[in-house]
Amino acid sequence: MSKLWENIFRKKRHSDRIEEILVRIPVFQDLTPRELKSIKAILYQREYKANEFIFKEGDAGLGMYIIFSGKVMITCDNDKQILAELEEGDFFGELSLLDESPRSASAIAKTQCILLCFFKPELLDIIERNPKLGCKILLKLAWTIGERLKSTNEQLRALNCRVGKNE
Amino acid sequence: MKEQSNIVLRILLFIIIIIASGIFLYSIPSIVKLVIIAALLAYILDPLANLLESRGMSRTAATVAIFIGIVFLIAISYTLILPLLLNEIKNLKTGFSAEQTISLVSKLEQIIISNLAFLGVTEIDLTGRLQETLSHTGEWIFSHVLDAASVITSFILIPFIVFFLLKDGREFKKAFINIIPNKYFEFTLYLFYKLSAQVGNFLRGQFIDAAIVGVMATLALWIVGLKYYFLIGLFTGIANLIPYFGPLTGAVLATILSIIQTGGLQMAAYVLLAFIIIKLLDDAIVQPVVVAKSVHMNPLTVLLVILIGGKWFGILGMLLSVPVAGFLKVVFNESIQNYRRYRA
Repeated sequence: MSKLWENIFRKKRHSDRIEEILVRIPVFQDLTPRELKSIKAILYQREYKANEFIFKEGDAGLGMYIIFSGKVMITCDNDKQILAELEEGDFFGELSLLDESPRSASAIAKTQCILLCFFKPELLDIIERNPKLGCKILLKLAWTIGERLKSTNEQLRALNCRVGKNE
Repeated sequence: MKEQSNIVLRILLFIIIIIASGIFLYSIPSIVKLVIIAALLAYILDPLANLLESRGMSRTAATVAIFIGIVFLIAISYTLILPLLLNEIKNLKTGFSAEQTISLVSKLEQIIISNLAFLGVTEIDLTGRLQETLSHTGEWIFSHVLDAASVITSFILIPFIVFFLLKDGREFKKAFINIIPNKYFEFTLYLFYKLSAQVGNFLRGQFIDAAIVGVMATLALWIVGLKYYFLIGLFTGIANLIPYFGPLTGAVLATILSIIQTGGLQMAAYVLLAFIIIKLLDDAIVQPVVVAKSVHMNPLTVLLVILIGGKWFGILGMLLSVPVAGFLKVVFNESIQNYRRYRA
């Protein structure tokens, strides 16, 4: 009997943790608890073994991945160059929610990990069924991509300065 | 070596599963037909359920509201349209007896005999054959379309399946995607997405187009004064779901019936003119607005596909051949494009 209760509470804890992680993702930050629940219902949950490819550079991309547990490496140039190492609560691939261009880098599970996947068809479905929620997500998505662009610009400026000094 | 035998084993298992599923589905054709029709209806009604959801309803409430609407429509059809339809079918079943028609057909018979005497044609009982065919048509409609047992089963089962597909369709899709291995997971979702965009829009567009053409044909035939205007209008609408063949069949049937009804060619000319105008309106105004040109198949392929569908699965095959071919085309194209990437 105690095992049954343990199992029920484990499921509850797991579900609560998904919401905790979602709240930390900028794209879902301004959502009400009810809206978060509806997002949670449409997420896919996948388990990956260590060293398993999540997607490869050049694949048709369809959405973003959120790390529920474990670590993920983002690589490019046939996995020769490691661009980033991401862990629990981080997310990647969000650009694919907007365009259908191929993945610009590969993602590999560094350790065994559980990922939450949010894809474009589900986003379009939300926009159709609940436009208010869809607008909130799109606005935050635009903000997130804008922030990434600002950060890239700053890195580029710093790199230009360094090149200028060397010359 | 072990890895290679594993791959062979997997492929073998996959083929066995496909064949077993095929045999299983082939052994229960009537249920498969019901499920296909229900799935199509659910797919067509899905945007309506989404629209109601966007107005603040839950999915279940939206599905119930759609069903209340459908029951209301059926009630209207039952009181207004069904008696009209049954009357027309009954009239068609008893055939025709207009003297003018018989004399017209006899004249035609004489012309044929006199012109084809050199071929040894001496007797062709056209009147009898025509009456026999018409009587069979009525019987066929009664036995196939209005067979009490099948109507009752369909009327109970189809709405039941549509209800759950409409309400829980997303959960079904999610459950299916969850069993796909990680390697093909995103690609499968990508295929679903492409299919929904191309085949789904085509199906919904064709359905709306067929409804509009059906209404236009019914109105036009009523104005012209054809006896079986509702039956032929309805038939033209449904037949319009089959590209090329549908509109032509409706026009030919209406023309023949108009000749039989009046015994002259004047009404036939009006009927033909009406169908030409409907076709022009459909091509110029209705189709560009409602049918997404997204399946991208050339006319010859469409014709062949319809013929093959008709040969293998009858009328349902003709109706579904174009969307199924569109589905296969998308799967094939996307698989080829992505094969190299997913091979490793």
